[in-house]
Amino acid sequence: MAVGETKKATYTIPVGPIHPALKEPVQLVLEVDGEKVVNTDVRAGQVHRSIEWLGMNRNNPVQTIYLAERICGICNICHPFCLVMAIEQAANIAVPDRAEYIRVIAAEMERIHSHMLWAGVAAHEIGFDTVFYFTWRVREEIMDLIEYVFGNRVTKAALQFGGVRRDITAEQLPRIRQSLEYYKNIFEQLRRIFLEDKTVQARTRNVGVLSTEDALKLVTVGPSTRASGVPKDVRQDQPYSAYADLDIKAITPDIITGMVVGDVYDRIVVRLLEVKQSVEIIEECIEKMPEGPTMSEPKMPRLLRLLTAAEGEGVARVEAPRGEDIHYVRLEAGQETMSTWKVRAPTYANLMAVPTILKGMQIADVPITFASLDPCMSCTNRIAITDRATRRTSVLDYEELHRLSVEKTKELQR
Amino acid sequence: MERLSPQAIIDSFRKELGGGFVNGWVYEREVAVKKNKFRSLWVEVKKDAFRDAVKHVFSLQEYPHFVIISSSDLGGEVELIYHFTVYYGHHLEELSLGIRVKLPKSDLSIPTITDLIPGAIFMERETQEMMGVKVVDIPDGRRLFISEDVPEGVYPWRKDETGPQKLLRVLPGREPKRADKKG
Amino acid sequence: MNLKIFNRALWVYHMNTGSCNGCDIEILAVLTPRYDVERFGIRLVGSPRHADVLLVTGPVARSMEDSVRRVYAQVPDPKVVMAVGNCGIEGDVFHEAYSLVGPIDQIIPVDVYVPGCPPRPEAITYGVVMAWAKLEQLAKQAKQEVA
Repeated sequence: MAVGETKKATYTIPVGPIHPALKEPVQLVLEVDGEKVVNTDVRAGQVHRSIEWLGMNRNNPVQTIYLAERICGICNICHPFCLVMAIEQAANIAVPDRAEYIRVIAAEMERIHSHMLWAGVAAHEIGFDTVFYFTWRVREEIMDLIEYVFGNRVTKAALQFGGVRRDITAEQLPRIRQSLEYYKNIFEQLRRIFLEDKTVQARTRNVGVLSTEDALKLVTVGPSTRASGVPKDVRQDQPYSAYADLDIKAITPDIITGMVVGDVYDRIVVRLLEVKQSVEIIEECIEKMPEGPTMSEPKMPRLLRLLTAAEGEGVARVEAPRGEDIHYVRLEAGQETMSTWKVRAPTYANLMAVPTILKGMQIADVPITFASLDPCMSCTNRIAITDRATRRTSVLDYEELHRLSVEKTKELQR
Repeated sequence: MERLSPQAIIDSFRKELGGGFVNGWVYEREVAVKKNKFRSLWVEVKKDAFRDAVKHVFSLQEYPHFVIISSSDLGGEVELIYHFTVYYGHHLEELSLGIRVKLPKSDLSIPTITDLIPGAIFMERETQEMMGVKVVDIPDGRRLFISEDVPEGVYPWRKDETGPQKLLRVLPGREPKRADKKG
Repeated sequence: MNLKIFNRALWVYHMNTGSCNGCDIEILAVLTPRYDVERFGIRLVGSPRHADVLLVTGPVARSMEDSVRRVYAQVPDPKVVMAVGNCGIEGDVFHEAYSLVGPIDQIIPVDVYVPGCPPRPEAITYGVVMAWAKLEQLAKQAKQEVA
């Protein structure tokens, strides 16, 4: 073989499906050339729990609300919200105005908690464990507020067909305002930590770029697509519930940075600004909330009879913290279960963008890039690298991959 | 491109597809205190005119937003609905558009749209494995969510004999619910 | 409680077999400064080969059954397995699904059950302390057998 002429072989690295730090398992099979990723294959299916089948064959619609809550533990207002709106459309059930505002308050509180959670995870992937602990401590404030208003930290069962199950009374309002003040005061500190730190910029600028055209073709949703400059936001475009009274603008990164690149840094910008927007929305809702009942049909047997006799179809879309969520429901007269139920969670659409954003990245950048899409799924545990030429297999575990990521940060800081 | 009103969109479909157009209607509903309108459009087409209908959506907006493919088992036939949205990016302007196709169970196949929208690949793979509809010319036809040890021919979304009845895991001490639960 | 035999920290490995993440975020909240379980010497590790306690959440999906068995085999003795959350204990909302292979104790033996959907962080801490006590017992037995 002459000098300069090498036979290049690409190695295949399967990554996953168990992650020791958090979230759901997924398997990524990376094809690597040297240190750069050439191609990715996403293999999902490790968390398939046949929820749609259960909703169509085993449950009546009220039981399905509690099943929909457990589709995801982090965003567990948006799935019941969507289901409840779709069935109200199909069965023609009216919702009192006060209930609409309470639903929006619940959805925005969930957005704050989800983005704080994500910020901590992103900091952990870069290697700043202190920031991880700090952000999750900040998040405990909103969890306390959620427990104070709705009764539980994680699974709240707050929604019901035709309204909400709990009311927000006037005595609770001072406590809510106190928590919102806390978030307004701490926002400046968070902004400095995440957006002005040189190391964070070095690790995240121009990493995992998703161009505007790719974002449109691959139909990505949520903050990942807004960071690429596409202003898609269901709360702005096709407002539902009380959002139709508010004036919400989709947040794109040029509000702070003045330009749109579509990398990991832009996604951090979008999510932090959305926390600020959520605080403002909750304040506005508390001011504008009208008086009135919170449920249009409080008696359960009548509600069930209404749903069994109803016939029709409904489709509802909601802006979850991760993107756009859609539920399609079909009801048939005389049948207690739903005839058709289709759920499309936001990460489903964003997973198709993974091969594009991982192309050309180094292996040490894989954790932060994958986590920047905020998947409701997780990544790596064991990596087996097979050297095709010599057929030797060496095994790296998650600690190795995380160590590579942290070492890269330390090198940049030197 | 200028934005058309909902009824004008349905009329444009009728004009474009001619005989392939079966039906179209607009659903409207009022929301919250200010009573703004929530609108969604439904268009039903025949299978041969299906690809033309999808191409016509591109004439409404350069990159329409494609959401999901939902499928219902109606006994002797399967109805697929392709959910799109157009005119996003502006306050209160977006419209949901659903394109419906009915397929008889004797011939469950539909052409792919991944050449027009690359982001449709996961949805077509899921429809293929869960409902048993064959997507013609799909670039990657592997299973997406169902694991390998579930045998071929089991389609979870169907209500007939190809459903996953035999694979249910019923724990000791509990009883399975009957198939058509009424009360 | 006489915790003398274990004179180092307790290392915990957390495995998700297909859960909704509700229990997982409460497990992570246990490490954060509010509940701060690291002051007792408990920490999360990244590899099952270093772990003493295996924390499992989720109803086991079909594609994860193999991984669960393999990880259980990799944790060295003496070990304790904790099942956190209702779906791992008996299925909860998912009890008739076609794509799940049943609660965790049908696949690997479980020592401590922490019920709840999801259990509060205080309940998870209590469960870990009970696991620690059981581990002490197992280690003492192993020592007596050798002696």
